[in-house]
Amino acid sequence: MPIFKTPFNGYSVRFSPFYESRLAVATAQNFGILGNGRIHVLDLPPTGGAVVESTAFDTADAVYDVSWSESHDSLLVAAVGDGSVKIYDTALPPPSNPIRSFHEHAREVHSADYNPTRRDSFLTASWDDTVKLWTMDRPASIRTFKEHAYCVYQAIWNPKHGDVFASASGDCTLRIWDVREPGSTMIIPAHDFEILSCDWNKYDDCILATSSVDKTIKVWDVRNYRVPVAVLNGHGYAVRKVKFSPHRRNLMASCSYDMTVCLWDFMVEDALVGRHDHHTEFAVGIDMSVLVEGLMASTGWDELVYIWQQGMDPRAS
Amino acid sequence: MAMRDLVTGGAACSVPGSSSSSNPLGALTNALLGSSSKTQERLKEIPTATPSGSGPQFYSENEQLRALPGSELDQPILQPGAQGSEFFRGFRSVDQNGLAAAWDEVQHGGPMPPVSSLYERPVQPTFEGPPQRVLSSFLHSFVESSRGGIPFRPAPLPMLGLSASDKQCIRDRSSIMARHIFADKSEDFINAQVNALLSSLDIDNDMQARGHIPGRFREMEDYWNESQGVMRPGPHPADGWVTEFNQHGMDHGGPDAWVKSFEQQHGMNGWVSEFEQSQLMSDQMRGMNMPNLAAMEQTRQLAQTLSRNEDPKFQVKPASAPGDWATEYEQQYMGPPSWADQFANEKLSHGPEQWANEFSTEREHQEPIDDQWVNEFSKLRVDDWVDEFAEGPMGDSTSDAWANAYDEFLNERNISKQQSSSGVYVFSDMNPYVGHPDPLKEGQELFRKGLLSEAVLALEAEVMKNPENAEGWRLLGITHAENDDDQQAIAAMMRAHEADSTNLEVLLALGVSHTNELEQAAALKFLYGWLRNHPKYGAIAPPELADSLYHADIARLFDEASQMAPEDADVHIVLGVLYNLSREYDKAIGSFQTALKLKPNDYSLWNKLGATQANSVQSADAILAYQRALDLKPNYVRAWANMGISYANQGMYKESIPYYVRALAMNPKADNAWQYLKISLSCASRQDMLQACESRNLDLLQKEFPL
Repeated sequence: MPIFKTPFNGYSVRFSPFYESRLAVATAQNFGILGNGRIHVLDLPPTGGAVVESTAFDTADAVYDVSWSESHDSLLVAAVGDGSVKIYDTALPPPSNPIRSFHEHAREVHSADYNPTRRDSFLTASWDDTVKLWTMDRPASIRTFKEHAYCVYQAIWNPKHGDVFASASGDCTLRIWDVREPGSTMIIPAHDFEILSCDWNKYDDCILATSSVDKTIKVWDVRNYRVPVAVLNGHGYAVRKVKFSPHRRNLMASCSYDMTVCLWDFMVEDALVGRHDHHTEFAVGIDMSVLVEGLMASTGWDELVYIWQQGMDPRAS
Repeated sequence: MAMRDLVTGGAACSVPGSSSSSNPLGALTNALLGSSSKTQERLKEIPTATPSGSGPQFYSENEQLRALPGSELDQPILQPGAQGSEFFRGFRSVDQNGLAAAWDEVQHGGPMPPVSSLYERPVQPTFEGPPQRVLSSFLHSFVESSRGGIPFRPAPLPMLGLSASDKQCIRDRSSIMARHIFADKSEDFINAQVNALLSSLDIDNDMQARGHIPGRFREMEDYWNESQGVMRPGPHPADGWVTEFNQHGMDHGGPDAWVKSFEQQHGMNGWVSEFEQSQLMSDQMRGMNMPNLAAMEQTRQLAQTLSRNEDPKFQVKPASAPGDWATEYEQQYMGPPSWADQFANEKLSHGPEQWANEFSTEREHQEPIDDQWVNEFSKLRVDDWVDEFAEGPMGDSTSDAWANAYDEFLNERNISKQQSSSGVYVFSDMNPYVGHPDPLKEGQELFRKGLLSEAVLALEAEVMKNPENAEGWRLLGITHAENDDDQQAIAAMMRAHEADSTNLEVLLALGVSHTNELEQAAALKFLYGWLRNHPKYGAIAPPELADSLYHADIARLFDEASQMAPEDADVHIVLGVLYNLSREYDKAIGSFQTALKLKPNDYSLWNKLGATQANSVQSADAILAYQRALDLKPNYVRAWANMGISYANQGMYKESIPYYVRALAMNPKADNAWQYLKISLSCASRQDMLQACESRNLDLLQKEFPL
């Protein structure tokens, strides 16, 4: 299974929605505490050979997240630690990049997510407690959502409703928003500790999952949000990212500071259906390909990017 | 130092820090107090709790960092599988010049990366290699020990040449990250860990930049209530007239009361103006200002989808909790789904994204419901003015100008909104009415005459004398509203409420005021209080409702009240407000018209009608209503400005200017009006007068733009 070594510590990995064999990796030097960053664009050759880096972009500060545009096959949105949001065009050489740089966030931008249904806008979540909504062609953000009391770690669009998104914050709440409303439409105090990530179920637009510093993943139904649908235990440390499968309704993948990547089926009594401990440092980024069923990628602070087919061992050759 | 001696026994004992394993206290001492001569040794002895593979990596890194200046290429990791090295070789074969070029570009293009600044410092002789590597390994060991859960005991490192911003970066990020890693350890442990890191790096750690938020365990109830509150269809952020309405309250004595204050309160047309203005102005705001009705429809559709869709994937689980999210949405919204239809017609995904396809097919199942209003609105409002905008103002400078003007306007509004929530009344100094025998009567007289600033002073004298005088506070609130001082108006009204919690006008004023502040729950509370405390309608308002107020229920109650007493204009006025909240503009217009039949000389009510009409895109009718208001009260500042706004919203910028000027001539302190004027001047390509606008030169403006 393909592996790629990055010079910096990995932070996030995303498959391209346009090309089956392409993915982007966000990395940061010195674990993202101080130093530069780099975005790698990788191509998996169809014959199963080595992963090839098609291009890379260097940044002055850590890149914490990257998201592919859903409207243009070569554009990337990068969430950078100096508070800027940068747009990169992979079709242009690195010296011509970034093609846009938005400086509005006051603190590190921790996540970026492109709207998969409306395909015209994207969200960024920052440690300055806000989430901002942008489009590529406007020089300034369209909206700023400021309600959280602490760092917002992730903002994710609902896969069915182009105006709804969820945000996960260190203030221990998960908030659901509708961009047409002035404030959040729902506040779920999902965990007693910081919530590091959230993701919507791709088949049921009312289900979403949160992952927290308290080592659990909780699955919520917004129609009955006082009590979680499921609480998934199994990680030994904070769960850094959670992702629902685009191909199987109940399948989720998560990665954690316990260096493992786990697969879960939340509708089943014994939810843990798979565990991989291929990383030797915090596993921080994970993604499941939309275009190829079962294809997954993960990255971590051990500077490695693994790409494997579900069910197989990521380290297998 | 005393501590060092204590720890090490002074000269008699072994040299502090000689071996961390044998003298942990010594190590701690070193960490805290510093012992630079031993740091090199220290670096090699940093304990690692878990023998992870990163140990050897840590040292091998030191070699590789000597490669390209600024390049961070590492040696291949020794992976168990051949795969790793093979792919890494592939990686290494990347054109190194390309990377260097990229690196240069980064260095020249962006802000100086911290790494390069480190290179410029003279290398410390006691370390192996450039400070960058030292820092890197230092941070590695921090993470190592953190992961191992053992306290971090590093030696202080000498000058790494970290700039202040670097240090801040390290401080902030490491404390945030440490909190993730040490979830189950105490706060003290986390702080100690981070402090150890920071002190070694010589970073000031007194002021943690990002402390953890206090009170992070909010009660579920609070969140529930908050979410209940905000789930109501919020009025558009620019709903200023509603505030005014609240502020003023319903004066049984005279019709002017809240109507006036309403108008004065929040911009010319009140909220309508702001709403229109914001639609007009900002393409950017489009995300926010897309027909709220259509937006509501979207969410209504969501609710509908959830409850009725036959597609098994969308079955709603039976929800036992009261106030089901989906049904609430259903109750609330009743608009037409044009947005949804529009979207369904949009081409969807290119790839085999299953859920996206499902989404589009599901959309098509919905019955298209015609609603001209929304269609008209979405095309008219959004498309036309966008085009107008594109063609109208010439050149970049004008569009920038008014975009900036609009931004400033928004900022000012936000600031004033923030300020108003502080709720503390500020008295004026040098009040000549203090000592007056009957300042309340004097104040009422002045108010009637329209000498609002004077009335304020007199009334302030009254409430200074009698702080429990609810009437005094109430009138003060109204006067401030008319005088366009929101902040003071709300503060005064709150005091009036404290003095007399059953006063109906005050309750009403506060209800609308909170609506405007998007505090729906509070708004409904006050409006409900109005009903309960009303001698005639108190009976129909059951007390148990007070705990869970729903817009639909309140509207229903007011409806009942209106049937009980069809001659009571006040009830219709409140209904009009409520319907504006839920954006049922036709009903709101109906209510106001009914109220106007009962109170045809209430100029503020005319203005309110106009505002509602304008908001439901009947600008022509709106202008007629404003005209009626002005006929009744020629000095009605609000209505003048509202006229201006209505013209501006129809793209008739030139025509709008004299109205703004007239409004400002009467009340030069109406900041909102200045903003609108600036925008209209830009759009009408009258940049020559922008300077006059900036300097608030009314004489010049009046001369240039007579009515």
